Amino acid sequence: MATGTDQVVGLGLVAVSLIIFTYYTAWVILLPFIDSQHVIHKYFLPRAYAVAIPLVAGLLLLLCVGESPRPWAGCRVGVGVMTLSHP
Amino acid sequence: MDWAEGESVRSPEPTMTKLAQWLWALALLGSAWAALTTGALGLELPSSCREVLWPLPAYLLVSAGCYALGTVGYRVATFHDCEDAARELQSQIQEARADLSRRGMRF
Repeated sequence: MATGTDQVVGLGLVAVSLIIFTYYTAWVILLPFIDSQHVIHKYFLPRAYAVAIPLVAGLLLLLCVGESPRPWAGCRVGVGVMTLSHP
Repeated sequence: MDWAEGESVRSPEPTMTKLAQWLWALALLGSAWAALTTGALGLELPSSCREVLWPLPAYLLVSAGCYALGTVGYRVATFHDCEDAARELQSQIQEARADLSRRGMRF
């Protein structure tokens, strides 16, 4: 297993992706089938944002990748030392 | 290669490149989605189904992105570190540097 910050960052990424996935699935797939008077609709933005927000985020991401001459040079996740095979 | 005498070597069956396959599948699914959302097929879908249908491409993209992010994070977290080997390697590097600088090599 990886150590220290590697584990924290890795598990953090997993958690973030799961949160985004569940929220977005609930928003796009589940909400239309729930009665419009239900209280849960209060926790979700109007439906048009379900396409607008990922679109804008995707465009920003593409701009970031296009701008920096060396992409991701600033964010290097420390991956552990490669496994060495003992002779 | 052995073939019966007199038989010519046949060229391999024409196959589609992977890119062509992906574009084909994308075009198929995309046209199906477009036909359903614009109601061009004349199907009367219930309104909740239409509500789910129209953001579907965005949904698939976001899910694919989440899957990619989650996989990267998981692989980073479960990467097999070999700390003993790392320390051993570092000490060997120190040894080598000391030895070489003793022999006159400048770093």
